[in-house]
Amino acid sequence: MYQYTEVDQKLVDERVEQYRDQTRRFLAGELPDEEFRALRLMNGLYIQRQAPMLRVAIPYGLMSSRQLRQLAHIARTYDKGYGHFTTRTNIQYNWPTLESVPDILAELAKVQMHAIQTSGNCIRNTTTDPYAGVNANEIEDPRPYCEIIRQWSTLHPEFAYLPRKFKIAVTGGPEDRAASQVHDIGLHIVKNDAGEVGFEVLVGGGLGRTPVIGKVVNPFLAKEDLLSYLDAILRVYNLNGRRDNKYKARIKILVNALGVDKFRELVDTEWAYTRDELRLPAGEIERAKGHFTPFDYQADAVNNDLQDKLATDADFRTWYEANTVAHKVPGYSVAVVSLKPYLQPAGDITDIQMDAVAELADQFSGGEIRSTHDQNLVLADVKEGDLYALWQALAAQNLARPNVGKLTDMIVCPGFDYCSLANARTLNIADQINEKFEQVDYLHDIGDISLNMSGCINACGHHHVGNIGILGVDKKGEDWYQLTLGGSSGADASLGKVLGKAVAADDVANTLDKLLTKYIEVREGEESFLETVRRTGLDPFKEAVYAPAH
Amino acid sequence: MPLLINQQLIENDPWQLLTDDEQALPSDGAVILPLARFEQARADGSILQLAPLVSGDDDINALLEQADALALVAIEIPAFTDGRGFSFARILRRAGFKGQIRAIGDVTRDRLAFLTRCGFDAFQIADDRYSDDILSALAEISVNYQGSADEPRPIYNR
Ligand code: HEM
Ligand code: SF4
Repeated sequence: MYQYTEVDQKLVDERVEQYRDQTRRFLAGELPDEEFRALRLMNGLYIQRQAPMLRVAIPYGLMSSRQLRQLAHIARTYDKGYGHFTTRTNIQYNWPTLESVPDILAELAKVQMHAIQTSGNCIRNTTTDPYAGVNANEIEDPRPYCEIIRQWSTLHPEFAYLPRKFKIAVTGGPEDRAASQVHDIGLHIVKNDAGEVGFEVLVGGGLGRTPVIGKVVNPFLAKEDLLSYLDAILRVYNLNGRRDNKYKARIKILVNALGVDKFRELVDTEWAYTRDELRLPAGEIERAKGHFTPFDYQADAVNNDLQDKLATDADFRTWYEANTVAHKVPGYSVAVVSLKPYLQPAGDITDIQMDAVAELADQFSGGEIRSTHDQNLVLADVKEGDLYALWQALAAQNLARPNVGKLTDMIVCPGFDYCSLANARTLNIADQINEKFEQVDYLHDIGDISLNMSGCINACGHHHVGNIGILGVDKKGEDWYQLTLGGSSGADASLGKVLGKAVAADDVANTLDKLLTKYIEVREGEESFLETVRRTGLDPFKEAVYAPAH
Repeated sequence: MPLLINQQLIENDPWQLLTDDEQALPSDGAVILPLARFEQARADGSILQLAPLVSGDDDINALLEQADALALVAIEIPAFTDGRGFSFARILRRAGFKGQIRAIGDVTRDRLAFLTRCGFDAFQIADDRYSDDILSALAEISVNYQGSADEPRPIYNR
């Protein structure tokens, strides 16, 4: 993985001291609230319902065991012993004090980490595929480009006060596990007819109040032009994005208002100026790539007793089928660590669990860990012969629930319990769903499905792109839940359609039960839930939920 | 109001800022006028030394053709959160503008480094936000990945 140069290290060290001084000036009354707010946000610090919340960047979701141990140490020392992985592959701490944040940032800098631009109206952490570098369908590993973007966007002097936040996601091939089409910019590594590798560039995707799927602004961008093109998009946005209404300030609104063709014209005009200046030399791309070389895979890893173990231990088999993914190298496997245990908030992890995962990464997966858009962790390079031992160790830490990609692998925002913008609670509904579906006998029959839930229209839980989406709404002081069906954040991205009127809080799991029973009734062959909804439309499901009982 | 030019506190600034369109032009001297009035005064053949005050909704490109003839462009920062000024300065410098780029409005310490890197070299700062150590803000971060006004090349092309 990427190792800081002296220059990179100096930047984060200086940034810590800069923020320490800003905090000092704020506490001394020298810095107005509003200005400190902007500065602290650009260092990851929100002020929330309960306490401040600190969001730490995990660039493109990749960390070393040493870094994860440091995150555990921070959870233990400055928080209440846990952290929370987010859909943008970062980690959040919910209980640090404002005064302690400079010290936390200093602890992060010691292990080449930071919280720079994890919030605020600037370019945020770039995200990517958690299976980057290990999945067979990839055209190229996207992470070197993510690192190049990280450096370019870090403390960019021109783009620190954008109309609104700006998020970029990169995928390395035809599959999309980074929700790239609902990002401000989605970059897809593609091969053109001449066999050259470059990027398809999407712009203007996003969720929130106005959910939009990104539009292609450039079907093929040469690698060397990556930064000049991003720079041009950002400048056009910085100058033309709306600043009068924060709900209309994202780039998606600008792209929709201008139309993508006009937007492209503006970008091309701008691009002509900086194309030479920002051209990426081949050597720089190679330097970045040199940090992401494949592991030293062992050919004899194919000789293992995995099949015996699968045949003799049904629980292991269940976990293996749900929580591991094919690796491009024979004899290896990608293991997903489920952060969706029974009746625990999605994405939460304790300091002890973090230490344990770090240990397992050292033991079984080259000392690296990835965080995913679905709020799980990944050990990407496990020998098949080690899977059984890994599973046992994960199970001992309550990290082996066999539910990856299943109904209970929900994306859930914190909702009313933690968030001051929430309209409704979400964590209790997640519990309700867990309770209902832990026992039902048809659960294994449902197969892969995504359930995403947000506590308000800001859509942090990505409900629009869940196969089933749940949105908390407030009706006369009561929590109600609106359901959408047919969303997807994958390569076939789509926005879900509203099922009908919202359901009461205690009726959510029952409603899901009706939907899933209907699915099993009407599906054809091996059809997934999403495929069925796309084929039949919403009508059968509406009837199942709203028709008066006969 | 303290004025910093090239990191020096300047006492005798010749430029007079006239933002009120009702206020009559002086008979001589150097005046900064909002862009529309600036253009009008030029068209009228004013003998004053003139500089435009550009605000966020103006089109900076309109100025580029005549940039060589200008000694100063003032850019209004209506609120510190409004980042359009950063791009304005960058576009002016990119077009080869060598004169002064002055930030006027909500200009405070914690933006000075980025403003400078984008090409501003003059800052008008409110009295209550000025302190003698304000320029230490420029030294806080010494590492620049991106190009900037004094070093257009990004780190990987240096
Ligand atoms: C707890 C306090 C939180 C607050 C106050 C909050 C607030 C917001 C707001 C206001 C937006 C909408 C911004 C916009 O569309 O311009 C937003 C978007 C978002 N939030 Fe949060 N959030 C919180 C927690 C989280 C958590 C825990 C996650 C991760 C699980 C998260 C992930 C996201 C994502 C991914 C978006 C982007 C959606 C999009 O593309 O528009 N947020 N958040
Ligand atoms: S979706 Fe709404 S309730 Fe949930 S975290 Fe975001 S802002 Fe808060």
